[in-house]
Amino acid sequence: MAKQIVNAAPEAINKGVVSVEQQLRVERFLNYEAALMDEHEYDRWMELWTGDDITYWVPCNSDDQDPNTGVAIIYDDRPRLLERMMRLKDKAAHAYRPRARLIRNVSGVVPLSVRGEELEVVSSFSLGEIRTGTENIWFGKCHYLLVDTSEGFRIRWKKVMLLNNDEAMPNLTFLV
Amino acid sequence: MSTTKSNIIGTDRDYGSLVKEDRVHSSIFTDESVFEDEMERIFHKTWLFALHESEVPKKGDFKLLKLGRFPVIAVRDENEEVQLMINRCRHRGAQVCEATQGNAKSFQCWYHGWTYNTKGDLVGVTGEEAYDKTFDAKEHGLTKVARVGNYRGFIFASHSKEGQSLDDYLGPAKKFIDILIDASPTSEIEVKPGVVSKTMYRGNWKQIGMDGYHPHYVHVSVFKIFSKRESTTGSAVGAIHLEDPFADSSPSLTRGFPNGHAALDFRFQRLPHAKDNTAELQQSEDGRKYVEDMIARYGKEHAEELIAWHGDPHLGVFPNLQLIHDHIRVVIPISSSETQVLMYPVFLKGVGQEINNKRLRSHEAFYGPASNGSPDDAEIFERVQRGLEGDANPWILLGRGINREKSDSDGTVSALISDEITQRAQMQEWKRLMTED
Repeated sequence: MAKQIVNAAPEAINKGVVSVEQQLRVERFLNYEAALMDEHEYDRWMELWTGDDITYWVPCNSDDQDPNTGVAIIYDDRPRLLERMMRLKDKAAHAYRPRARLIRNVSGVVPLSVRGEELEVVSSFSLGEIRTGTENIWFGKCHYLLVDTSEGFRIRWKKVMLLNNDEAMPNLTFLV
Repeated sequence: MSTTKSNIIGTDRDYGSLVKEDRVHSSIFTDESVFEDEMERIFHKTWLFALHESEVPKKGDFKLLKLGRFPVIAVRDENEEVQLMINRCRHRGAQVCEATQGNAKSFQCWYHGWTYNTKGDLVGVTGEEAYDKTFDAKEHGLTKVARVGNYRGFIFASHSKEGQSLDDYLGPAKKFIDILIDASPTSEIEVKPGVVSKTMYRGNWKQIGMDGYHPHYVHVSVFKIFSKRESTTGSAVGAIHLEDPFADSSPSLTRGFPNGHAALDFRFQRLPHAKDNTAELQQSEDGRKYVEDMIARYGKEHAEELIAWHGDPHLGVFPNLQLIHDHIRVVIPISSSETQVLMYPVFLKGVGQEINNKRLRSHEAFYGPASNGSPDDAEIFERVQRGLEGDANPWILLGRGINREKSDSDGTVSALISDEITQRAQMQEWKRLMTED
């Protein structure tokens, strides 16, 4: 995320591209999303996404690995994301049972640009995971395209850049 | 047979008694001293898969890898040959290359400045005049891995100077490697530098094996997803699995080769679907061209076979390589209870981008740390490792189907898809290497 913030237009940093009130709405929304993920509330998390043309992307090997030419950890459109939800909820998906206990801290929330109802936002998170006696710590940066709707913010596009995306990682048994 | 260190480090354990025809003792999965011996007697002795030559396409391109305990640099030298050299300065032993991949004209040790070219020759010694007159730089090049072999672009290495040839080692398993390569209409595949899904599990490296008995249980959640899809198309270049390839009533087989190689042989199960696969491909422009080019290259009959097999030999080459679906898988043992698994997506040369995109998305859907399939395998391997600690009844049973094995004319042994012929083949090779003088 640092890179997106470092490269942001000066007005996004100095004055900010949204009001302080709007900034707080964005932060509340991202914390709400984080809470749904921590609590494994998949149906409600899925409701945060809007439109048919959505992308949930977790790159592999580097933050910028092109999914058209390289492998991704997750590169979901809506049908693939819905199948992911089926498995996350399925009691016979062994890697997800027992469920991991999760706590994540969202920080560094910076709206980068506004185009009509669309808002480009970056943030970072640290995530503690405990499952079957093993503790893992995950760090990541997120890049969002949010849509401001009458019902609140909705996600159209989300890219999660894990700090360890080029290391041998254990199962990622939850949403990031 | 001379080996690197087995005369220095070794135990007197009777490995022959720990592997029987139909069962193995669980201590071989949990005992760290067994792991030490495996490094010496298997990983520092037999052939290991190192890399695909396309990972270092140009002069100076290099990649770091681990072969047994040895850190190794694979580099395409100035003569376009791929060199495998131990990543260890001949002076005080520091690694001379730290980047995991890249391009270099030389490798410099940053401890005292000794420099080696891409052929491994020592070309720069700081203050060379201070060394004795008998010092000869030619004798202090980077140590080469003892033997290197290449089968159709797959580079294998052995730390032992002696032993059977790579050709003999691969034996009848070679024609299964061909299935992967010949899915390309130019008989060329590409493994892209640095494009790899890296995973780990807390379990023993021998857990990862060809197993046709587990999918109905370990992957039940995926079968539920498949059953809800309108089309089950997806794997590789257009496989259609309208029937269960893991049913014993299917023509799928498990197969054991000499030297511990093994396969889940789906050829006879997939062949009847050749026409459906071809028709499916012909719905798109890239697919039509692919079918045309395959027929031009291999003739209609073999092209249809190759399309039906869709480049998936489901082959395990003992001890560290597997070719499954759309990827090359490398198994790296870290300890008796930790294993890394690297999965390199394979791209076909000579095909439209849509074909490779489909293979890539299909690969991601089943393999990788957040996918539909392989996390459940890793989870089960961890459950096995925890269970093995309770060794009141220490034997692990591998006898399924032992009475219905059939020998084929090419020296391989086959049985039904749920039979443990694959595990038996792997463990008999383990025993052969662990007890060899």
